[in-house]
Amino acid sequence: MELTHEFTVPADVATTFAAFSRVESMAECFPGAEVTSVDGDAFTGSVKIKLGPIALTFNGEGEFTEKELAADGSSGRMVLSAKGKDRRGNGTAGAEAVVVLAPGGDAADGPTTDVEVTTDLQIGGKVASMGRGLVQEVSDKMLGRFTDCLEKKLT
Amino acid sequence: MTTTEEAPATAEAAHDGEIGRDRRRKEDRRLITGRTRWTDNIAPPGTLHLAMVRSPYAHANISGIDTRAAAQSPNVVAVLTGADLADTQGVLANAWPITPDQVAPEHKPIAVDRVAFAGEIVAVVVARSAATAADAAELVDVDYDPLPAALDLRAAADATPENGGAIAHPGLGTNNSARWIFDSGEAGTGGNVEDAIAAARTDGIVIEREYRQQRLIPAFMEPRSVVVDPTGEQITMWSATQIPHITRFLLAATTGVPESKIRVIAPDVGGGFGGKLQTTPEEWTAFAVARRLGKPVKYTETRSESLLAAHHGRDQWQKLTLAARADGTVTGLKVELLADLGAYVALVGGGVPVLGAFMYNAIYKFPAYRFDCRTVLTNKTWTDAYRGAGRPEATFAIERLMDELAVELGRDPLEVRRQNWITHDEFPFTTVAGLTYDSGDYESATAQAVDAFGYEDLRAEQARRRTEGDPVQLGIGISTFTEMCGLAPSRVLGSLDYGAGGWEHAEIRMLPTGKVEVVTGSSAHGQGHETAFSQIVADRLGVPFEDVEVLHGDTQVAPRGLDTYGSRSLTVGGEALALAADKVVAKAKPWAAHLLEASADDVEFAHGKFTVAGTSEAKTIQEIALAAFAAHDYPEGIEPSIDAEVTFDPVNFSFPHGTHLCAVEVDTETGAVRLRKYVCVDDVGTVINPLIVAGQVHGGLAQGIAQALWEEAVYDDAGTLLTGTLADYLVPSAADLISFDTAIRSTPATSNSLGAKGVGEAGTIASTPAVVNAVVDALRPYGVHDVEMPCTPARVWRAIQDGSAS
Repeated sequence: MELTHEFTVPADVATTFAAFSRVESMAECFPGAEVTSVDGDAFTGSVKIKLGPIALTFNGEGEFTEKELAADGSSGRMVLSAKGKDRRGNGTAGAEAVVVLAPGGDAADGPTTDVEVTTDLQIGGKVASMGRGLVQEVSDKMLGRFTDCLEKKLT
Repeated sequence: MTTTEEAPATAEAAHDGEIGRDRRRKEDRRLITGRTRWTDNIAPPGTLHLAMVRSPYAHANISGIDTRAAAQSPNVVAVLTGADLADTQGVLANAWPITPDQVAPEHKPIAVDRVAFAGEIVAVVVARSAATAADAAELVDVDYDPLPAALDLRAAADATPENGGAIAHPGLGTNNSARWIFDSGEAGTGGNVEDAIAAARTDGIVIEREYRQQRLIPAFMEPRSVVVDPTGEQITMWSATQIPHITRFLLAATTGVPESKIRVIAPDVGGGFGGKLQTTPEEWTAFAVARRLGKPVKYTETRSESLLAAHHGRDQWQKLTLAARADGTVTGLKVELLADLGAYVALVGGGVPVLGAFMYNAIYKFPAYRFDCRTVLTNKTWTDAYRGAGRPEATFAIERLMDELAVELGRDPLEVRRQNWITHDEFPFTTVAGLTYDSGDYESATAQAVDAFGYEDLRAEQARRRTEGDPVQLGIGISTFTEMCGLAPSRVLGSLDYGAGGWEHAEIRMLPTGKVEVVTGSSAHGQGHETAFSQIVADRLGVPFEDVEVLHGDTQVAPRGLDTYGSRSLTVGGEALALAADKVVAKAKPWAAHLLEASADDVEFAHGKFTVAGTSEAKTIQEIALAAFAAHDYPEGIEPSIDAEVTFDPVNFSFPHGTHLCAVEVDTETGAVRLRKYVCVDDVGTVINPLIVAGQVHGGLAQGIAQALWEEAVYDDAGTLLTGTLADYLVPSAADLISFDTAIRSTPATSNSLGAKGVGEAGTIASTPAVVNAVVDALRPYGVHDVEMPCTPARVWRAIQDGSAS
């Protein structure tokens, strides 16, 4: 399924791009996420998610397969691939997230960046069979907390 | 409401009390209260419990299985993979290879290095309790490398390694399992259908349609359960199965354990609908684990596992071409069919569409017919028999087409059917598909149904609503069906390459106390055999109903049998019993003559008594049973027993038929369909127990209507089953249905002495097209010619929008 989220952060594109590129700082903002190792653009870690009655801990790995910042800092794009499986066999997940950064309107206290995240999410097993209806709602909530946290970090 | 109207089939039936009697089912008290032997209630001392680790992927290589954490959990006895059981787990057999060159993957109970559908077993956990086993199963860590999954039936049929399409089993190089063709021109049963179509294109009518038979889940009430105890001289398996005898045979054939060392018991079984006509990975796994550990084991599936991994049904695409003359006389039908087998060729899965092949011509007498079917492997749950198996699909196709033809002609659909059907004076009638229908009366059944339905009044109401532009439109659907059941003459099965016969075995034991033990190889899974079979034997022997005990479902008690499916229990199993009873009477006669000091020629048997003409002397058959037990005084040259056994091989199928009329109200603003009225008149031959027949018809209607309106197994584009709970897979409850108006007629079958025809599948076969025809009929003014099943509000609304736009 495809999930699209758009939000605006209070920093210019280059600063936002740098923040997105640091896996550890991203993980701090992502609810339930923990990074266990980082090797260049690749990392391993886990994410705890609760989908209705199903509590899941996805262990997995991820990698930035693309990272491009325009030389003049006017736009940025990165592609993150990740896959994992629940520690208790309740499901599998694979995701490819495309993050596109573009300058937003200048706010009173400085420049902003519009962020668009398009995620192609593949889930399987019990989580897909029973929790599908909840995925959009839960991911919206998680992204909300993620962007709130990010906003604080970039302010 | 249920009304029963029947003409007595034979002179005997007219004065005998048991045939046709509304007896309440004697097994129901224990079944309904659950104080009985469901498999899950059975627990030999020291039983260990199994939980299955199942693949979340539709198609993947297994690159590693780490069982350590699970194996180290408290109270876990063992964790076994396919590799661990490689030598002993056997394989799951396909008993009906429909062509000599059928392509079929090997089906191991536990996958070894690759999984081919989501839900396939990859490991089994053995623990001291079911809960511990389930918890530990979550700790088994399996690494998968996902492979492209073949999911869409039509795409899978066209996929090749060259065109890059996904192949369900890459080693086979194709998804096409078999192609099976019947052509009336080639078979000599009729003309060439292409000629008929060409002629119709010139100066007649050609109707071309594609229909989808969605994937369904049998959804029996009792989940599958199996217990295996290897501690006796024989290995005993209790299983919630329809087929204990076939299971025993195939366990022996595929595991190397001698058949004489295996005992299979199907205790009380809570529904099947064909869904338990299977030899399952779960049974084979339990058998292998019990042998490995030398201890009794039990596995009972959860409801979600049942929906996911027990075989599914239907899942076909039908491409149909009907040719007719301009006056509405049908001249030919061509059927091109794709059937989704799922990931493996199940026990009789490949043969399901072939069972339909003989029924597309239904009750009509057109002269040319061709059926061309391809069975296709995909990475979904395997498919096999589900109530009707092949025949509902065929009936749906022809009954939808007859309505389409009527629209094309601008005539009443009943009238077009009447023009084309076999009339009652034409029986026996040999059809274009090569079957001989022994009996039927389509005119009378239809006349009775039309009358009970108030057909003309409803047509008038429909016209009024159309004129007034009522947002709620009325539709009337017709289905005049027949089907072939009572599987089956063994020679016919042999000619179709089926791996077994179609006979049934029966035994009657006359106990010295006058009680009667009846042994049948057709064991029930909820249909009321104990009652109906008792009635047959009580009727033929003239003994009280209460004195008859029916024994079944245990290969040690009922060693010979071919089990229960295809509406065969009464017409094959019941007939075997009736013939065994006749044999008992014949064996008792010399005893009676001897004891009455009369010539055997002067002794007559009626109502349980032997009498000598012209005297008041009499001996009951129960008195003779005691005399035979004592054996103190009997004629020379006969054995001291009046017990009898019969193996009955039917000479023909049984052909129940009927007319089903359905009225629906369709809200054109929301797409919601509401059942308004349902009337059916089924001709099922002689009725043994009207109450049981009514129950079978009602349940069958519910399932057939459910296909039309609600049920569908849905997969996502990764091959995950989305309808994995009963909140998502919409089995109807009583509240979703209306009160059916069902009636029975009885044109006796000529192929068995009871005059009986099958009834177990009739309602399911007939009702689906009646409902869809009604929905489409309601929407004709909106330019709608079809609504894909199930006709959900979304699909109906979309059809109205698309139709109105065109």
